[in-house]
Amino acid sequence: MAGAPNWLHVDTEDESPSPHLTTLSSCMALSDVQCDGYVRLLAADISLDDDAEEPSATLKVFRGLKLKQEQPLPGIPTAIESLYIDETEPKTPVIAVAIAESVLFYRHLKPYFKYTIPALESEDLELEVWRKLPVMKSSSHPALLDSLRNIDHSKLSRKSQRLLQMSEEEREDFIATHKDSPVGRVGSIVAMCCLKRISSDANPPSHLVLATDSGHILILEPQGFNLVFQGRTCDDETAVPSLISVQGTFETDFCIVVATRNGGVYLLRKTQSEGQEIFKLGIPLTGVLLLPIDQTIIASTMDNRYMCYSKRGKLLHQVQLADLPVCLLPLPMIHLGLTLVAIALRGGVVKFYLQRYLVDEFSLDETVDAMVYGRMGMEDHVLTLVTQSGKIVVKILRRVSRFEPKLGDMGSKRSGSDHKSIADASILDKPKKSSIFVEQAAREKQQAKSTYGSFQVELWRLRHTAARATIDAINSSESTISGDLTHAPVKLSAEVCGSGPAFRLYLTVQNLSTFKMASNLVVLLHADRRHYTIPQTLARLPSVLPGVPLRVDFEVVAVLDPMDKLPPASLTPDNSLIRVMLMKAGQAKPLIAAAVSMPQSEAAF
Amino acid sequence: MGMLHNLADLIKIKKDKMTILVLGLNNSGKSSIINHFKKSSEQTSIVVPTVGFMVEQFYSMSGVSIKAIDMSGATRYRNLWEHQFKNCHGIIYVIDSSDRMRFVVVKDELDLVLQHPDLCNRIVPILFYGNKMDMEDSLSSVKIAAALRLENIKEKPWHICSSSAVSGEGLGEGVQWLIQQMRFAMLNNKNAAKSRSKHSK
Repeated sequence: MAGAPNWLHVDTEDESPSPHLTTLSSCMALSDVQCDGYVRLLAADISLDDDAEEPSATLKVFRGLKLKQEQPLPGIPTAIESLYIDETEPKTPVIAVAIAESVLFYRHLKPYFKYTIPALESEDLELEVWRKLPVMKSSSHPALLDSLRNIDHSKLSRKSQRLLQMSEEEREDFIATHKDSPVGRVGSIVAMCCLKRISSDANPPSHLVLATDSGHILILEPQGFNLVFQGRTCDDETAVPSLISVQGTFETDFCIVVATRNGGVYLLRKTQSEGQEIFKLGIPLTGVLLLPIDQTIIASTMDNRYMCYSKRGKLLHQVQLADLPVCLLPLPMIHLGLTLVAIALRGGVVKFYLQRYLVDEFSLDETVDAMVYGRMGMEDHVLTLVTQSGKIVVKILRRVSRFEPKLGDMGSKRSGSDHKSIADASILDKPKKSSIFVEQAAREKQQAKSTYGSFQVELWRLRHTAARATIDAINSSESTISGDLTHAPVKLSAEVCGSGPAFRLYLTVQNLSTFKMASNLVVLLHADRRHYTIPQTLARLPSVLPGVPLRVDFEVVAVLDPMDKLPPASLTPDNSLIRVMLMKAGQAKPLIAAAVSMPQSEAAF
Repeated sequence: MGMLHNLADLIKIKKDKMTILVLGLNNSGKSSIINHFKKSSEQTSIVVPTVGFMVEQFYSMSGVSIKAIDMSGATRYRNLWEHQFKNCHGIIYVIDSSDRMRFVVVKDELDLVLQHPDLCNRIVPILFYGNKMDMEDSLSSVKIAAALRLENIKEKPWHICSSSAVSGEGLGEGVQWLIQQMRFAMLNNKNAAKSRSKHSK
């Protein structure tokens, strides 16, 4: 798989005129608008030219990469969705375009319905001011306007907001023309999503999920245009939604994840119409996703991080990105049974993550502004990217592409240790907080000083004991291997043969060095003469060559009482020892001092 | 003597069936092309997307019996193609010449076919149909050949012609070329087999 890219690049060089588009990910949709099985790309082209007086938008329909149709829109859309509203055959998709406070519905690309979200209640004071304004003299107007200024600006109706911005000359006419229009406050739609009604075959009828800047989350049923669900992001008025992501089906259960402009992420469920805060970040989010299978929440932030949270707000993993993430897109790959997450970074790099693993990436010449993925034309897995200068790039997934997390894992290891450390810090297995843990933590907090002190005392005591034992071992040379560094290391092993009272003690001396010779060695045996008699207690050894063991033997006779043929009473298993000392001639300190414990002697008859 | 042999071989070939594999992306017109070759009594008026594959029998204009395996072009069935590579004598690769966006997919799938071990060491003639030539934004066969870089296919005889499965235009010409090439290939294979057996003796 290495070498061959996973994405086939569609060549658009010879296309004339070359398609051009300025849009956002939310303003792009894929739809079978003509009901001919050929899925077309729909996008709102937003023109922000400086010479044009007002920014305007057109809805463009591309067949393949050819612009086939366009239609001016009455405002700048926030989102475009293609949905099916009923089950009648042939299934005709309806295009929903959210502009300011309304959703425009198009069928066969012809205007079909306009839905406006319900107005909010206005402040009493504002109503009062508008009742007074037309009838009172213009000299008293500034006082009235000042009273309006005392109200929170975002809680005023658009009419009042406009009035406050005007100069005195303009006010008269404005009041005259608008005195009878209702003082209604309407929120704008900031985000829109589709929610399937039931999970059935392909193209099931859907509902629309709308998020308004007043913090309301509405679900609109597009057949009778009724609101079937109304919720709030949270009770805080300042939490303005910016991004939403929806999973589930309306009939059974669904989850709506709402990200606000100040970096909070809230979760709404079918049974819970007020959002529950999942996590809050200090930095604005650039994208938020609720993944379908593992139900985790993916977020990309302005401080170049890509994070994954559980629905309970636990940070599962995070990845430090090389640059600012511009847009985030889920890539459901049903044939592979997984969902990739595509992140477009500033500079033109697009990365594909499978959970925390980077599985693929490619790079374009310039920053990608908008992405859309799905069935386009006759092909199932098409990723369409729109760059900052308006170029449309189309990538088609290769049929044989497979995304293995292992490859990505190795890639991230190679790319730098800092990425790894962030990922590891977040996955450390911490134990659950039991009551014992909590009590212990409280105790530790209260008696921190004495805990620390007693720990230190114990630690030093342990070290002291260890050091003393080490010194003793060195001084007594009580081991079977010599510890003298200036000399070749020598190993001594002993074996006792016989059943008594006469024993034979075999000693094996082995030189462990590879090149040094061990010469001038002497073996000395030492035993309590009341218990054992050793005819020869000293033996001078020949030089011991490396690798060739030397075996010497000694005769040891146990002392028995001549009367009752029993060992003396002072001999106990504890002191039935023969000390063996291996010494170097001319040195007072033995190289090895070992004790051989002797078996109990049989009585001699 | 040699000529008689050849003649006998030719007659023999006429008796046995030739197997053609029909490949191409979904909605390129494979089934419509096969439908056109069938007897008018067996033709169907509505062509639906093929599921898996279909085996069709028909006689070419020169009277050769042809078994055509009409493979489905849908993404999830394309992995079935390779199972038929072993026992095919020729390949028809159908391209939708109006679907410019997917030329890159056409090329990718073609490369996968050509690199397959069951095909890369055999001489199998490949006929390309630039289908849907009647569509308004269809490309000419020369442009398709350039876009797919067909000139890089060196080991296999290939031929491209524009066609229209709706009217039947261009279909006969291509099939005639394919049958001729398949005969050559078979003769070559037989001669090669003969010479090999002689060597072994």
